[in-house]
Amino acid sequence: MSNERIDLPQGTLDLLILKTAALEPQHGWAISERIQQISSEVLRIQQGSLYPALHRLERRGWIKAKWGASENNRRAKYYELTKSGRKQLEAEETAWRKLIAAVGQVLETA
Amino acid sequence: MLSDLLYRLRALFRRKSMEAELDEELRAHVARQVEKYIQSGLTREEAARRARLEFGGLEQVKEECRDARGVNFIQTLVQDVRYGLRMLAKNPAFTAVAVLTLALGIGANTAIFTLVNAVMLKSLPVANPQELYRVGNDDNCCVIGGFQGNWGIYSYSLYQQFRDHTPEFSQMAAFQGGLGDLSVRRGGASRPAEAYAGEFVSGNYFTMFGVSASAGRLIAPADDRPGAPPVAVMSYRAWQQHFGFDPSVIGATFIINTMPFTVAGIAPPGFFGDTLRSDPPDFWLSLSTEPALNGQYSVLNHADMHWLYIIGRLKPGAQPASVQSELTAEVQHWQGAQPDLTAQNRSELGKQHIVLAPAGGGVARRLQTDSATGLRLLMAISGLVLLIACANIANLMLARGAARRTETAIRTALGAPRRRLIRQMLTESILLAVLGGAAGLLVAWSGARAILQIAFRGASYVPISPNPSLPVLGFAFAVSLVTGIIFGVAPAWVASRCDPAEALRGAGRSTHDRSSLPRKSLVVLQVALSEVLLIGAGLLTQTLRNLENQKFGFETQGRIIARVDPTLAGYKPEQLHALYQQLRQRLTQIPGVLSAAYSLYSPMQDENWSTDIPIEGRPFDEWDNASFDRVSPRYFETIGTRLMRGRVITEEDTPASPQVAVINQTFARKYLPNQDPIGKHLGFLKPSEFEIVGVVEDAKYMDARGPAYPTFFLPFLQKAKDPKLYWLERSQYMGDIELRVAGRPENLNAEVRRTLADIDPNLTVLDMKSLSEQVAQNFNQERLVARLTELFGALALVLACVGLYGVTAYSVARRTNEIGIRMALGADRKSVLALVLRGALGLIVLGLAIGIPAALAGGRVLASLLYGVKAWDLLTLGLGAVALAICALVAAFVPARRGTKVDPIIALRYE
Repeated sequence: MSNERIDLPQGTLDLLILKTAALEPQHGWAISERIQQISSEVLRIQQGSLYPALHRLERRGWIKAKWGASENNRRAKYYELTKSGRKQLEAEETAWRKLIAAVGQVLETA
Repeated sequence: MLSDLLYRLRALFRRKSMEAELDEELRAHVARQVEKYIQSGLTREEAARRARLEFGGLEQVKEECRDARGVNFIQTLVQDVRYGLRMLAKNPAFTAVAVLTLALGIGANTAIFTLVNAVMLKSLPVANPQELYRVGNDDNCCVIGGFQGNWGIYSYSLYQQFRDHTPEFSQMAAFQGGLGDLSVRRGGASRPAEAYAGEFVSGNYFTMFGVSASAGRLIAPADDRPGAPPVAVMSYRAWQQHFGFDPSVIGATFIINTMPFTVAGIAPPGFFGDTLRSDPPDFWLSLSTEPALNGQYSVLNHADMHWLYIIGRLKPGAQPASVQSELTAEVQHWQGAQPDLTAQNRSELGKQHIVLAPAGGGVARRLQTDSATGLRLLMAISGLVLLIACANIANLMLARGAARRTETAIRTALGAPRRRLIRQMLTESILLAVLGGAAGLLVAWSGARAILQIAFRGASYVPISPNPSLPVLGFAFAVSLVTGIIFGVAPAWVASRCDPAEALRGAGRSTHDRSSLPRKSLVVLQVALSEVLLIGAGLLTQTLRNLENQKFGFETQGRIIARVDPTLAGYKPEQLHALYQQLRQRLTQIPGVLSAAYSLYSPMQDENWSTDIPIEGRPFDEWDNASFDRVSPRYFETIGTRLMRGRVITEEDTPASPQVAVINQTFARKYLPNQDPIGKHLGFLKPSEFEIVGVVEDAKYMDARGPAYPTFFLPFLQKAKDPKLYWLERSQYMGDIELRVAGRPENLNAEVRRTLADIDPNLTVLDMKSLSEQVAQNFNQERLVARLTELFGALALVLACVGLYGVTAYSVARRTNEIGIRMALGADRKSVLALVLRGALGLIVLGLAIGIPAALAGGRVLASLLYGVKAWDLLTLGLGAVALAICALVAAFVPARRGTKVDPIIALRYE
């Protein structure tokens, strides 16, 4: 485990899950792997918190789960975005970008 | 929200399969991680160890997932409910007392809400009631002329004007302001005619309401044209109750007031017309039949006789405010175009206006406005009772909480979070409240029936169902929930604050008792609230008694009033003389009848004819107004009104003799002060028409709370000569027969009916009752409020006593040890009794000290409802306080005496 890895700020896990599941239906392990890969292993996901997050998102109706066969023909639970999930993702992305921009501005000028 | 709930429910019901899926999902994740590590070169053992370490506790993650799904909330609830039910079943006595108390409290509230819902909240059973608006909001009745200022009742001509010139209404229907009596018999039947209630309605009445016939057809616009064959619609209830759903009724001929009508069809079940009232119409007749039916007294074609209410259906999008100003302009325009306008009329033209009132609940009549005050008061009182019931149960729960301290302590020691404890206790109390609410529905159902009977005494049918409807069920459930929380919060809080170490060390041994202060406060609150209710009950009961037993100016006992209407039997004015001659003679011959009389109307019958009155020697003032009645010879003697001066109306006052009048004392005092009224003249148009020949004692005819109106009495059949007084002709027809009888008035009912049928079988008796009953029906609302407040006051008293008993018994039990020591040291029983009673007395006194000022404040709210008694009536206050103190002391005495029977030896060994 390299020292550059950082823990996710509160509340961003949902956003990342939504974004990852938006491309194609994914199972839980793949979602966490993908986030780590794309972030060049910087973002580390507490695996214990991934599943509660998935179940919470499912309850809110943003993602839905389906059982299917995985690459090596094992049964796996796939999560995909629902319509309202897409809307939620858009909203959260916009909010996140605004936040980043604002924080960046403060850091540069203050 | 809904999908969330569905998700949670599915999660609950598919728990097993979801648990398996969760397990499989998490295991698959770990397996993949292990594979990844193996591929990166670790040994299988090392890979497995690392993957598991990273993942964390499998069970913990599962629990978090369940939490995230919201499964846990429901599971805990189910667990708590099960546990709560077990606890309640373990204490059947406690549960029974609590459920009974709650059932009474919630039931009382629900019963009253049933009425509130029906009278004030419910819509008419018609299509889209929210689109209905009434033209005007005044409940003027039943036929009036002239300007109204705030208009509410209209002539047929004015209705046509509105109907044809207000395009914002898709439909506008007119109907009679007051119901008419009908004398109805089926064509060809041999039975005598029976009395029914009828209403004239415009041809589009049923179309406007959007209701359809349950059999046959309803009145249509084509039926409401001059010359159309007369048809009637029968109410579903009349069809059911009087004709047993006989299908041959539809299309049959019925003789209504001597005129043949065809019954076209039956109105839908539950439809009671345009107004919620007792005894709604049994028959609806089209307006076009009014001239034939009412003959020379017809009002349909008089543009200046206002007798119709109007309800219309606004088109979607129409603005009520702009329609209202449009109608106001129309009524001013119409009125301005009328002939015979005086200068004063013209100056008041600008003040004439119309209010467009929502009519989804029908015409807001006296039933609504009258009972609104009473119902609000009853809601408040039943709310108080429920509060007292809550205090009582909270007290019981506190006592039980103290007894369950060890249990709570162990649970806390084992790590139960306080939130969880409170939640468990609250679940239990809400459970109890819901059980009480369910039982309360039974109380509410029978209570609502009883209330309807008191509130509508004298009515043969009220279109209000005592059965709980959906809003009522919802109300009961909501009240139960709130109740459960109110009485559950304090005990739960107290219980959750228990220190496990202390509790486990000496459960029940310490003299320090956390729950004693809240328990005592609750008893004080109960005593105070009961005092408020008792005093309120005392004031309202005295009001009712004062109203019923006041000096009316006539005798209520031993009198029978029979309501008849010769116009219904087709009598022409010239036939009346013969009828009246026969009537008094035949009625007086009935054994037991001491004297017989008849009049246009009788006292306290809710009827009043009044007029402007020019008086000799007094400059005319249009505010000089008096009521008048026509009475037969021996009328005053028969109803028991005393003659003060001059003479009464006698057999000598015939159509041919000089025209005379008898006035009452108020008339003399107000209009002819400081002079001898005998020999003076008065009249309807000129101050010379009738000579005053006598003065009678004041008697109340309309308003039981106010003074008697200035009134004059005329003999029957003395005719007004001026053609402008054609309307006065109607007053020649008697409306009531009065009989002074020996013995119980009810015993003569059958004989009186037989005699009347003998005189003329078409002379239908519309109603017959004793005068005391007629008077009593004026006080239905006062009676309802007084009886219920008495009942609630008694209930509150019992609850407060139970509460005090509980607290005293509990404190005696806790102090057994102390009492034992005192007695061992030489205290005698009396001083121990005094010791315990002093504690109880303190609570009572404190409760009274709070309750009496509260009752005084409450009395000010009641002030407008009281009659003959002041809100600060010392006797009522004193009696209330003493009654409460005695009952409460007795309740405290019982356990206190038990305390003195303690054997010191046993007491010292106790614990």
